[in-house]
Amino acid sequence: MGQLALLATLFAPFLGAVVLLFVPNREPLLVRAVAVASAGMALLASLYVFLAYDPDQGGFQFITKWAWSEELGIGFHIGVDGIGAPLVFASTILLFAGVFISWHIKDRTKEFYIFLLILAAATIGVFMSLDLFFLYFFYEMSVLPMYVLLGVWGSHTKGYLSMTDSEGRKLRDSVGFILNFGSNSKEYAAMKLTLFLSAGAVFALMGILLIYHFSPVQTFDILVLREVAHFDGTLATIIWLLVFFGFASIAPIWPLHSWSPVGHAAAPAATSMLHAGVLMKLGHFSIIRVAYEILPEATRELMPIAAVLCVFSIIYGGFVAYFAKDTKYVIGYSSSSHMGYVFLGMAALDYISLTGAVIYMFAHALATGMLFAMAGWVYDQTHTRDIPSLGGLVKNMPFLAGAFIIACMASVGMPGTVNFIAEIMIIVGAWEKYPFQVVVAVLGIVLTMAYLFKMMRGLFYGNMSPEYAHARDTSQWVDRLPLLVMIGCSIFFGIFPMHFYNVVRSTVVPMLDRINQVAPVVTQNTTGLFP
Amino acid sequence: MTFDLTLSSSDLLLLAPEIFLTIWLCVVLAVDFTFKQIDHENLAYLSVGGVIATLVNLIWFDYTGVQGALFKDMFVLDGVAIFFKIFILIATALVLLASIDYVKSFKFFRGEYYFLVMMSALGMMFMASAQDLLSVFVTLEFSTFGFYILVAYLREDQKSSEAGLKFFILGVFTAGLLAYGISLVYGETGTLVFSEMAATPGSYGLAIGFIMIFAALGFKIGAVPFHSWIPDTYQGAPTPITAFLSIAPKGAALAILIRMFYVALATFKPMWVLLFVVASILSMTYGNIVAIAQKNIKRLLAYSGIAQIGNVMIGLAAGTKQGSDAILFYLLTYLFANLGAFAVVIGVSNLIKSDEIEDYNGLNRRSPFLAAAMLLFLLSLAGVPPLAGFIGKLYIFVAAIEQELYTLLIVGLINIVISMYYYLVVVKKMYINEPHDPTPLSVSAPLKTVIFVSIAGTLLLGIYPKPFIDWAVSATLMFSNVNAPTAAVPALASLAGG
Repeated sequence: MGQLALLATLFAPFLGAVVLLFVPNREPLLVRAVAVASAGMALLASLYVFLAYDPDQGGFQFITKWAWSEELGIGFHIGVDGIGAPLVFASTILLFAGVFISWHIKDRTKEFYIFLLILAAATIGVFMSLDLFFLYFFYEMSVLPMYVLLGVWGSHTKGYLSMTDSEGRKLRDSVGFILNFGSNSKEYAAMKLTLFLSAGAVFALMGILLIYHFSPVQTFDILVLREVAHFDGTLATIIWLLVFFGFASIAPIWPLHSWSPVGHAAAPAATSMLHAGVLMKLGHFSIIRVAYEILPEATRELMPIAAVLCVFSIIYGGFVAYFAKDTKYVIGYSSSSHMGYVFLGMAALDYISLTGAVIYMFAHALATGMLFAMAGWVYDQTHTRDIPSLGGLVKNMPFLAGAFIIACMASVGMPGTVNFIAEIMIIVGAWEKYPFQVVVAVLGIVLTMAYLFKMMRGLFYGNMSPEYAHARDTSQWVDRLPLLVMIGCSIFFGIFPMHFYNVVRSTVVPMLDRINQVAPVVTQNTTGLFP
Repeated sequence: MTFDLTLSSSDLLLLAPEIFLTIWLCVVLAVDFTFKQIDHENLAYLSVGGVIATLVNLIWFDYTGVQGALFKDMFVLDGVAIFFKIFILIATALVLLASIDYVKSFKFFRGEYYFLVMMSALGMMFMASAQDLLSVFVTLEFSTFGFYILVAYLREDQKSSEAGLKFFILGVFTAGLLAYGISLVYGETGTLVFSEMAATPGSYGLAIGFIMIFAALGFKIGAVPFHSWIPDTYQGAPTPITAFLSIAPKGAALAILIRMFYVALATFKPMWVLLFVVASILSMTYGNIVAIAQKNIKRLLAYSGIAQIGNVMIGLAAGTKQGSDAILFYLLTYLFANLGAFAVVIGVSNLIKSDEIEDYNGLNRRSPFLAAAMLLFLLSLAGVPPLAGFIGKLYIFVAAIEQELYTLLIVGLINIVISMYYYLVVVKKMYINEPHDPTPLSVSAPLKTVIFVSIAGTLLLGIYPKPFIDWAVSATLMFSNVNAPTAAVPALASLAGG
């Protein structure tokens, strides 16, 4: 049953996308109905998987394994552990909410939902892959739909359309827009995102191929590789660095983050939600799945790199978010700042902090999903994301303002939301090993409050410009349902976290035992970086 | 050297596909001459029928394991030959179908067109069986002969004539190179059959001879530095012929390359590994970087084809059985993706009479089907899962890493990212930009069939490649022993792998 539910979670969105191919574009209601049905089915199935996961048993559960190519040692091998299950659940929540958030998209509705469903399904696929080949397969597959979603249904940054280059041509028509680093167009954002993530992906692929080549068994199966493959010395360092930075580019860790805010800003609301909510977690998740499982020794030696870089992520992202004037930039930079917390929790290699990091991924998915959904609503109503020109919207949008406050509270980590539990666990768990980073993280929380409240004040309070007087609140149930689902989940797991905590812990404990208790490696040069 | 050309009936069996196709193309020509009033469209279906019958015959050979050699090993029918013949015939059948609308714009010689396409296909089928330098020369010229005419088929169009002339002059030049190379090799070894050369000691004459032969075949597959004819010829030729030229001759020439290097030159593997490493890096990098600047879709696909051949040569540089398996599989993925992309180009140019990428603006609004198909094919060429191209690239890379060719691997992986840019630029035009002229476009039935077959191939090879991988593996069983390391390998391979 659980096995079937897991397969249904993966294939329901794919099936929805295939069915949509045969639905005529002139019947938007039917298109949306198909999307809702497949997303709803995935949500229910993943809820079942999440609840049915047995923390006492631990390990990988609901495993399905089909031979795919013996020649190359690839099997279609899926299953979830305590880390995959909540993330699969978070993906389906955001997909379900995203389908409703995009309800009012009029332009090429069918294509939009096809790409959205493929994006979500591919993301879900990564979270349940137990085969390196399929992990990469779904990973790369999730990047490409972003290009079309951003490019077609995205939006430009303010003032972009009137921007011209020195010769008076409109910038959006210039051939070399990829090289135009000052550009704020959606095309630029889409191309940058795709190329950046693909570049990261090929580095990770190089690492995966090295694992494949140097393992004693020619297989991509993670469960086999973690038992039989042992890497040490320079080779382990090289593989680890390739895997870590390849996947961390999507996470996004500090010097590799530049694609992310422009990408978020350009994307349509539902895509931003999925993107910031779950796509970025592919990075952390893949690092855990590949590096933590297959390269435990190198992880123990090299994970301090993440502890160093996460400080920059937290501080840099926070400050840019504080000074940003565009709602989506604020949320985008806040996301890349918050992803630093996850890296901190992962880097400490401590039971409590890693559990906290996994819960944080889930919590952040909900919080940032809400923020992006509502920023998208405000944009749809006012056609601007420029915070200084907005204000006083609370009069027109009481429901949305209320929901926004809850989302900000969740994002800050108010007790009562699941974010609080996650944050406190990361801070407590990492304290012993990285006290400096923890101090920075706590200051980062203060910074988060500052920029989120500043944005909230800018949007909803103060004086309203008369040109936005027509803006209206979410009044239909299709508009409120996604927000209520996300708020509900955030608060429910904030108050009743025990099952969630047990599920995550059941996987984290044996994983960290392997990393921390394997005999010290006798090497000459791997420890050179961090003596 | 004497030949005894006695043929038994079982020998004739091995030649059955070629004999059948020869008869059939004569029939097509005869029907065209005899019944003037017959519609050329029916001639096309007649030709496709013959090609499919030949295809069925070959699949039956593959299934029952009919193999053998004729004429003192000049003509050989083995797994590789059958694979490439099937490859060439699939391409031929699809190209014939895709041509139907295009041929309507010809003023003269509509019937001969199909005859010439099938004749080239016949020549390439013989190429796939050539296991002797003499037959390499004869079959290569045989197949190219048809293309010389076909490339210049649009007599009124200056570009087409220019393309034909360029192709002809360079083609004849490489024929000379090939003949000269063959004479040098014959002088050094005293034999023309690949398998008998295996024991020859190395010498400068042999090396120069084989480099010349490599140059001639490199011209065929469009590897840098023998690629200069490709962009102009591709742009000028009738688009279905461009599609044909970009797939079938490359397959046939690769059959010869694999045979020659794996069988005749097995002992000199470290040297030719280096040759292919260099050619592969040059082709991938040059093709991908120059493709970025292209404004014409046919030129873009021409440069992308050069880069794809660079990828194929990674498999040759690996020089193992796994490498040849990967090449075979990669070519299948390339067949469907590239032919599909050209089919869309044919569809668009039939309707709007333009091959400029600028005119693909808003194709998604004008014809969602064509745009979605093009998206799939381009992404498959770029190597994006779950499409065929991804599995092909991965297979090639696995073959390369097993031989520890790290330099090649890194260049190949970076090139994936570069290529993604120009494929995505076309996607941007189709999906993001608004059309200049929003009239909807419709696609004719035969072209739709071609596109659907290509989509099916691209998806099937990407999602369930197992039977095709197994086929590629069993087709190259005869190369199982090339993995045996020779004494000189480690030193030079490490040089090649950096």
